[in-house]
Amino acid sequence: MSSSNPSDSSAHSGAAVLATGPALRLDGVRKVYGTGENAIVAVDHASLTVDGGEIVALLGPSGSGKTTLLSIAGGLLAATEGTVVVGGEDISGHSPRELTEFRRSKVGFVFQSVNLVPFLTAEENLLVVSELAGARGTVRKQARARAKELLAELGLSHRAGNLPAQLSGGERQRVAIGRALFNSPALVLFDEPTSALDTKIGEQVMELIQSEMRSRGTAAVIVTHDTRMTHYADRTVRIVDGVLGLGDAAGDDH
Amino acid sequence: MFLALSEMRRAKVRFGLLAGAVGLLVFLILFQQALLTGLVNQFIGALKNQSADVLVYNAQARKNLEGSIVLPDQATAIAAVEGVAVAAPLGEGTFTVLAGDEEQDAVIFGYELGGPGAPTTLIEGRLPEADGEAVASSRNAADGFDIGDTVTVVPNPGGTATTFTVVGLAEEINYSVAPTLFTDFAGYETARRAVNPDATQVLPSVIAVRVVDGADPTVVADAITAAVDGTEGLTRQQAVDESPGVASVRQSFSVILLLFYLVVPLVTGLFFLIVTFQKAGALTLLRAIGSPAGPLVRSLLIQVVAVVLSGAVLATGLFWLASLGGGGGLGITVEPMPVLATTLVVLVLALLTSLAAVRRVLRIDPIAATTGAGVQV
Ligand SMILES: Nc1ncnc2c1ncn2[C@@H]1O[C@H](COP(=O)(O)OP(=O)(O)O)[C@@H](O)[C@H]1O
Ligand SMILES: [Mg+2]
Repeated sequence: MSSSNPSDSSAHSGAAVLATGPALRLDGVRKVYGTGENAIVAVDHASLTVDGGEIVALLGPSGSGKTTLLSIAGGLLAATEGTVVVGGEDISGHSPRELTEFRRSKVGFVFQSVNLVPFLTAEENLLVVSELAGARGTVRKQARARAKELLAELGLSHRAGNLPAQLSGGERQRVAIGRALFNSPALVLFDEPTSALDTKIGEQVMELIQSEMRSRGTAAVIVTHDTRMTHYADRTVRIVDGVLGLGDAAGDDH
Repeated sequence: MFLALSEMRRAKVRFGLLAGAVGLLVFLILFQQALLTGLVNQFIGALKNQSADVLVYNAQARKNLEGSIVLPDQATAIAAVEGVAVAAPLGEGTFTVLAGDEEQDAVIFGYELGGPGAPTTLIEGRLPEADGEAVASSRNAADGFDIGDTVTVVPNPGGTATTFTVVGLAEEINYSVAPTLFTDFAGYETARRAVNPDATQVLPSVIAVRVVDGADPTVVADAITAAVDGTEGLTRQQAVDESPGVASVRQSFSVILLLFYLVVPLVTGLFFLIVTFQKAGALTLLRAIGSPAGPLVRSLLIQVVAVVLSGAVLATGLFWLASLGGGGGLGITVEPMPVLATTLVVLVLALLTSLAAVRRVLRIDPIAATTGAGVQV
C-alpha cells in the first residue's frame, strides 16, 4: 500500500516541513455508508500522508468521496476501517467527546457551505468556540487578542464588528479561514473553498490560503473539483470513486 | 452566556415579542388570580375575617350559612364538647335596608359582643358596643355604609323598622357580594323580627366557637360533629373553602387559569423549538468546530430564563398599573408572593417545554456541517 501512497511523491516544493512528523496520515481508510444492498463505498482503502506545512489539493469529480475523506481526517466522521493520525494523535478510536475536543484544539475546517454563525460578528465568530469551551481570565484575554491579530492579518480589522450578512463572499471566506486558524492547528481542511466565489475572488482566496499556510507552516488539504486551483498546492492527489491516485505535481495546469 | 446574549441582542424584536407575549399572559394569570381572590373575598370575606375558630352548622345545611339553623339543645351540647372554650350564637340573614337614601340588599351578621364571630379586620372606628351599632365593610362605605351613616332594615307589614348606626369599618367582611354589617346578636334578632313579626324565637344560623388555648380547631370541629347530632363543625378555613359558592367560583377560575398556565409554556416551548430549527445550521457548525453540546444547551436555557423573567417583570408592571385602577372595584393589590410563585411556576413549565428544543440540540450530528444541510431530524 505504501508504494502507492501519494505522499511518496517527490513533488514537494517550498513549504517548510516541520520536524514533528506528518500533519496527517491516513492508512487504509475505508468508509461505507449504509449496509447490505444499499451500501455505498465512499472511500476505499485510502492512504495519504501530508507532511507538516504541506499543501495538498484533493481533486476529484462530484460524488467521488472528497468530503467524506476530509470529514474523516477532521474527526467529524468515523472511518469504517483504517487508521487516522492527525499531528501525531491517532483519532481512529476516539469517542465522540474526544473527537469534539480534537476538533476544537487540533484541526481547522473550512466547510463548503455554512461557515459562520449568522448572529455573531466576524470577531465573535472567531471567539465563539473558545467562549463556549469556557475561556475565562487570561485565556479569554489572549483569545481576544489573537482574534484581533488574525483579523488584522486577514485584512479584516475594519470588519471585526460586522455580522456575516454585512460581509462580501470573499470577506466571509476570509473570516472562515481566520476561524479555522484560530486554534493554531497543524492541519487545516478546506472543502471546496472557492466553489461559491467568482473566479477572481476565488483566486484571491486561494492566494490568501496559500500565504497563510506558508507563513505559519500549517499543512492543508484543499478539496476542489476545479483544476485551475490546484497550482496553489504543493501536490495534487486525485480521487475517483473513493480511490486515491497520484496527480501531477503542483497542479494540472502546467 | 456569550452565545445566548449575542443572539438575543441581534434578534431583539423576535425575543422582545416573545417576552411581551409571555408578559401579557403572566399578567392575565396574575390578574385572574387577584380577581379570584377578590371575588372569593366578596363571597365569604365575612367568614374568613371573623374571630371564631370553629363554626358549627346544621348538618342539613350543606355548609351553607343561609340554610343553617342551630337549635338551643344543640347549642348547649356544643358548649359542652371538649376543647370548646366559648360557644356563642352567630346569626346571618339578607335584608332589604335603606342606606344612603336607597333601598338595597344587605347581609347582617349578629354575634355576641366580646365573643367569637367578631370581625377581625377593623380599619377605622370601633366594634359595636351597644344595641343599634354596627361595623360595615369598608368596600361599601361610599354606598351609605360609612362611619356615622344609619342603615334601616325595611320592615314587612306588621314589623317595626330597626336602625343601625355604623361605628366602624372592616376590610373584606362581605358576604354573598352584598354590603355587610356586623352587629350584636340582639340587633340581628330585632332585624329578623322586623321582617318576620310573628317569629316566636330567633335562632342562630351557626354556633361560633372559640377553642381552648392550644387546642387544634380541626380536632374540636370533628369532635363537635361526632358528639352533637345533626351538626357539622367546620374550622374557619374549612367554612371558607367548602362554602358552596366559593367552590364553584374557584372551579370555573381554575379551568381558565390552568389554560393560561399551559399556554405560556407551550408558546415558549414552541418558540424555542422553531428558533432552534432555524439556527440548526449555526448549531451544527459550532458542534463541528468543537463546541460540546452542553454549552449550547445551557445557552438555550439561559434564553428561556431570560425571556420568562423579562415577561414576569413586564407582567408585574402591568399588574401594578391595573391595581392603580382598582381592578374594577375588586380591590386588586400587588403582593410579592403570588407574583413570585406564579413566575416560578411559569418558569419551571417553560423550562420543561423547552426540553423539546434541548433534545433537538442534543441530537445535532456535527457531520451535517459538511453537507450544509444542518437540519437532520
Ligand atoms: N451520509 C451519507 N449517506 C449515504 N451516502 C453518502 C453520505 N454522504 C455521502 N454519501 C455518498 O458517498 C459518496 C461520496 O460523497 P462525498 O464524499 O460527499 O463526495 P464529494 O464530496 O466528492 O462530492 C457519494 O456517492 C455520496 O452519495
Ligand atoms: Mg463534497
